[in-house]
Amino acid sequence: MSDLPRRSEAKAGLAVALNGVTKIFPIPFQRRSIVAVRDLNLEVAAGQIYGLLGPNGSGKSTTLKIILGLVTPTRGQARIFGRDSDRVASRESVGFLPESPYFYKFLTGEETLRFYGKLCGLHGATLRTRADEMLELVGLTSARTRRLGGYSKGMLQRIGLAQALIQEPALLVLDEPTAGVDPAGAREIRDLILALKARGITVLLSSHLLGQVQEICDRVGILANGVLVREGPLGELLGIEKQTQFVIENASPQLLEEIENLATRSGARVIERGPPRSSLEQLFLEATEKSDKNADE
Amino acid sequence: MNNRTHRVFSLRRLTAIIGNTFTGLTRLKIFYVLLLFALLLIGSSVFMAQMTFQQEFQVLKDIALGAMSLFTSLLAIIATARLLPQEMEDRTAYTVLAKPVSRFEYLAGKLFGVLLLLGLSLIAMSALFFLVLTLREQSVLSETARQMSNAPPEQSAEALRLVRASAFNPNLFSGLAVIYAKGCLLAALTLFVSTFATSTIFTTIVMAFVYFIGHVQPIAREYWMQTNSAGWLTKSFLAVVALLFPDLQSFNLTDDVVAGNAVPLALLLQTLAMGLFYTAFYLALAWAAFFRKEL
Repeated sequence: MSDLPRRSEAKAGLAVALNGVTKIFPIPFQRRSIVAVRDLNLEVAAGQIYGLLGPNGSGKSTTLKIILGLVTPTRGQARIFGRDSDRVASRESVGFLPESPYFYKFLTGEETLRFYGKLCGLHGATLRTRADEMLELVGLTSARTRRLGGYSKGMLQRIGLAQALIQEPALLVLDEPTAGVDPAGAREIRDLILALKARGITVLLSSHLLGQVQEICDRVGILANGVLVREGPLGELLGIEKQTQFVIENASPQLLEEIENLATRSGARVIERGPPRSSLEQLFLEATEKSDKNADE
Repeated sequence: MNNRTHRVFSLRRLTAIIGNTFTGLTRLKIFYVLLLFALLLIGSSVFMAQMTFQQEFQVLKDIALGAMSLFTSLLAIIATARLLPQEMEDRTAYTVLAKPVSRFEYLAGKLFGVLLLLGLSLIAMSALFFLVLTLREQSVLSETARQMSNAPPEQSAEALRLVRASAFNPNLFSGLAVIYAKGCLLAALTLFVSTFATSTIFTTIVMAFVYFIGHVQPIAREYWMQTNSAGWLTKSFLAVVALLFPDLQSFNLTDDVVAGNAVPLALLLQTLAMGLFYTAFYLALAWAAFFRKEL
């Protein structure tokens, strides 16, 4: 194996490429073993937001760990920008936020970023500037001198994102990035992910929260029992064939009646009609924002 | 975007992990409890019953070096045993190893962080020990000078020289170096055990056994050699046992140091070299066990 990136993958603009990856965990002192991932082929194009979905135990975290070189595949190959992912050099261009990270409680927010920055080869003024930028980006500038032991769950998640981004990686891997975070915090993280995409960073995330994945991902893959059962661009996967949806504002009852009659006359069938629903999340955010404003007044 | 070229080994990454490990360990309450206990033990020796000054200095050195040896060994095991299991449980190991950090750098950083803590603790304890020894020496010197005020100058000078010789001798530094070497060895061995152990408690229990076996194994080996024919099989078996369970008894040079006997330079160097070899050997074993470990 070589440290050099594979040209075909680099040319194709692939951030992540998994070829026939299988991971089997033997159970100690037993003849049985667990197949966590089975013959997985997956490609994440550079610049995309890719969502890896699946129930608990479906193999999402194992897949992410294989991509990061934390777990070695039993068969197959994993590559990041054309480099073998079990090579340490491949992680120069990757940032990772694990699920529910603890980090070092005895460090402050600023010390945490400096520590992870040093691990990525940053130092001196570059490191200081980068740490300041990241604290600003995740909105933790005012909490920079506080120890992580006193951070809330949402703040820990944000400092986790900041450490993942400290060396300006081309690929960001997020394992359940909004797990345990309140809806407002989750919205901030989601907006941040979209902002990162706009800066050309590829994002690979795993999540249970399908609504959020639907809002931000370009492409998704669904894992079940270690097998990739569905994969493709979100629009293609969710689009229902031969059906079209209109959302009309300020339509009179007569107009709606006319549209329905027109559809029936032309041989089409109106399946559903009614006011569009807001999401529960939207309702929650509006209600809490209003409450915050009233409290401020 | 990041276009840095990767270096296989980076001193900067290593020092970052050493610093982080050291800072984390200094925040542990157990460290301060143990250090306070050792310092109290060393400090309290100044109040010991008055005996002849030779006996007094000998007991003082015995207590102080014993406390330092015990504290350094205990700290080496306790501090190292919790490092890896804790990092796995907190998932902090994932965040570090997902950066361009090799597993060797990670392990070496952890070990050297502990060794830095052991070194600084030993310096703190030695400083107190030398302070106590100096105070007692000054007190005995002035007392001796007062008692010998009417004696001939040669006799008085000889008495004072005897006091100074009983208090300080360069062998004390040899004793401290050997205590540190033993601490390094125990820390490296604990790190190796913790790479395949499932918990801090398991590692600590295993190390308690290793510590015990390490102290009795030279006697057992001698007995074995006397009662069995020393064929190649026996020799190989004993070599493996000696590798896995280091002869910790050979690090007990403190008795000679306390008694004021000169520790031959060759023996000192041999003991230190053995400590260095075992430390490097166990670090290499830890790396071999950790290299492909599934996290």
